[in-house]
Amino acid sequence: MRTSLREDYLEAILIHTGRFSYPPSAQDLGKALNIDEGDVHTHMDELAHHGDISQHDDGSITLTDQGTATGRQIIKKHETLQCFLSDILGMDRSSASDEACKIEHAVSDETIDRLGDYLRSPVSQPPSGNQVNPERSCLRGVRVHDSCRYAHSLVDFEEGERLVVRDILGRGCSKRLLDLGVVPGQLVVIKRKLRNRSIVVQVKDCDVALSPENASAICVERMP
Amino acid sequence: MKIALIGNPGAGKSLIFNQLTGLGVEVNKYPGSAIGLECGNVCYKNEKVELVDLPGIYSLDGDSEEEVLVRRFLERGGADSLISVVDATKLERNLYLLTQIAEYGLPMVIVVNMIDAAERQGLFIDTGRLGTIFGSVVLPTAAALGKNIDRILPLALTSSQPPTLRIPYDHHIEAALRSLEKTMGTPRQKNLLALQGTGDDAALRDAATSIATEIEQRHRMSVGQIIATNRHNFAQGVSAEVIKQSPEKKRFDLDSILTRAFPGIPILCLILFSLLLSVFVIGSWMEGWIVGGFTEFILTPYTNLGLPPLVERVGYSVLVAIEAGLGIAFPFVFTFYLGLSFLEDTGYMTRAAFLADRSMHRLGLHGEAIIPMVIGFGCAVPAVMSLRILKTRREQTIAAFLITLVPCSARTVVIAGIVAAFVGIIWAFSIYLIVLILIIITAIVMSRLTPGEQFGMIVEMPSLRKPSAKLVLQKSWFRIKEFLFIAIPLLIATSVFLGLFQYFGVIDMFQSLVAPITVSLLGLPAYASTALLFGIFRKELAFETLAVLSGTADLGSVMTSVQLYTFAIVSILFIPCISTVAVLYKQLGAKIALLTSVYSLFLGMLIGVIINILMK
Repeated sequence: MRTSLREDYLEAILIHTGRFSYPPSAQDLGKALNIDEGDVHTHMDELAHHGDISQHDDGSITLTDQGTATGRQIIKKHETLQCFLSDILGMDRSSASDEACKIEHAVSDETIDRLGDYLRSPVSQPPSGNQVNPERSCLRGVRVHDSCRYAHSLVDFEEGERLVVRDILGRGCSKRLLDLGVVPGQLVVIKRKLRNRSIVVQVKDCDVALSPENASAICVERMP
Repeated sequence: MKIALIGNPGAGKSLIFNQLTGLGVEVNKYPGSAIGLECGNVCYKNEKVELVDLPGIYSLDGDSEEEVLVRRFLERGGADSLISVVDATKLERNLYLLTQIAEYGLPMVIVVNMIDAAERQGLFIDTGRLGTIFGSVVLPTAAALGKNIDRILPLALTSSQPPTLRIPYDHHIEAALRSLEKTMGTPRQKNLLALQGTGDDAALRDAATSIATEIEQRHRMSVGQIIATNRHNFAQGVSAEVIKQSPEKKRFDLDSILTRAFPGIPILCLILFSLLLSVFVIGSWMEGWIVGGFTEFILTPYTNLGLPPLVERVGYSVLVAIEAGLGIAFPFVFTFYLGLSFLEDTGYMTRAAFLADRSMHRLGLHGEAIIPMVIGFGCAVPAVMSLRILKTRREQTIAAFLITLVPCSARTVVIAGIVAAFVGIIWAFSIYLIVLILIIITAIVMSRLTPGEQFGMIVEMPSLRKPSAKLVLQKSWFRIKEFLFIAIPLLIATSVFLGLFQYFGVIDMFQSLVAPITVSLLGLPAYASTALLFGIFRKELAFETLAVLSGTADLGSVMTSVQLYTFAIVSILFIPCISTVAVLYKQLGAKIALLTSVYSLFLGMLIGVIINILMK
């Protein structure tokens, strides 16, 4: 069996298991990968021989550790590539996904790791004029940059203005913000803004002091 | 029976805990954490009840040290039941944590504190309705007035029940929770944590991660964000239902002065300056009494005993170490702690952090780092201990280097005793200036060299309030105890070693060994090296040893102004005292402890040589 086919199978099984909490049947797999159901059975035997899956008497299958690991790696490659193609290069999402499906089998682990690092680093801003919102990144845990692209951020407004939070960029460092009540849809009032753009906002009757880099990661709109 | 108090920071937990337990509180370190838990025993109707005051937190899902500690405490059955304290004036935000606590399903009662302050603001809370929503008993209290505090414990012992609340989450989250419950057999609350990527169960976390990824792709939001939004919306609904608000009276807000650049920053400088000045004045006065009394009633009688020389030497070293510890701990460190705890309890330190944010950014840190820095003026030991409020290793490393340079109260004694007294006040201030410049240069270099990312500051500014004298005293007392535990044994050990070295002539050997450096490079008398060596033990000992070795208290008659100036600056810069090195080692590891020591040794020598060359 071709490596790419094997990887496609493992990826499909893992995604299906994640989505429905049980492994796919041969029919499900055939549908997902556009392969004849008869062929799927042959391929399953080969995968089992390879040590990627174990087949059970009732016809169901489960991934072995080795299979899971390979599948995960492929999903990671897919996500990273798709993220790069759509968010940095500006391809549309579905063609980015199709393209990623082809590249994912040939690309090396190192390339993917480096690409992942690149995407996570603050310098990887999309080229100007590219209408892609970086925090919409498809990669889990990607830390995003300091400016809002569409909405305005907190630092663009003045003391006393009543604003509604639309979005918070940078998932990694915003847990405390979420816990303090800075969530999408929340009304906030700017209580104080210093020249350096350090800000005190009132959220749910509490005052919260923010450094400029945190304040500029909060996208807001004026109260309608 | 073990009952824990849990709630947001500033909800009045500590005050309630204090009123419930009275005296006899002890601080226990929770296994695997640097944070102390305050525990106290209370007798109620012949039954012993153990009360625990958990640290104030904003969330049970977070990853700050306090949040992790409380989560672990609850998960491992640290408490049989809970007293959840919420701040009536900030009910909506406090309800967020309360919903999370309710999900743990432990029996609890809800205490709505500061009901008096809320009523003054025109907020009236329907506690009965709140109780129905959560399925718990609710008690309104006003801890500052002592109102209803006596009813908390009876209620907690008789009427605690597991809350019946169930928060409706987004339907994708609900589906995920159901599916995890079915496939993994884990409870809802564990699954919620797992979906956000926390929890000990690796299999559950793996299963949850793949579901979470999918939800995130569909929602374009992290699962944590969805869950938090759901909870906040729920809390908003509840608070709208239970709060009756009369039109708000416009009141004068002190923050309109304090958080503005002007006059906020001058006020900040004034407050910090007067804190340090009063610590210095009160401290020197008290130190005179303590050291004088100690010498007269203990040291002199001891030397008159006529013990065998070696025994006398060791005993003398121990006594001197105790004298040194007490002479610095109570006059300077304790006075400083009193002032600091007072400032902290008013809530002013968060304003200070906000105002200092900009300058701290220039140093590669952020506003919150002002707190360890200010503490550093009192003593570097607690300053290093307080480094854990900084979240990243990078910030901690930079701040550690700076703290070792900040002139602590012991160094202030050196500056005052040598430079101000014999060279001139202006020259004493010039030392502060030099140190300030060195701190800034060090910070700029360090922020370039230290790896890691910079995160800003997200800090709640609690309402300003009048601190309780008892709590301030208690907090200062716990802190000074912690300080004594670290410092005194080290002081004794070092003192004995130095005493023995001196006895066996090792010190003289050292003195002649480094004499070329001391004499030709720094232009100091040879015995100055011994004084500097003693300075590692305790900074102001450098000054006292110098007086002893030169044979006169009038240093001006045996050394030139330049020599005194050089000596002072070298001794305050070079190698942080042994206690600081020890805490650095404990808190940040051997590497940082070694690096800061080597760096400050190098810096002290360099500046000493420069001054010697320039001014000779």
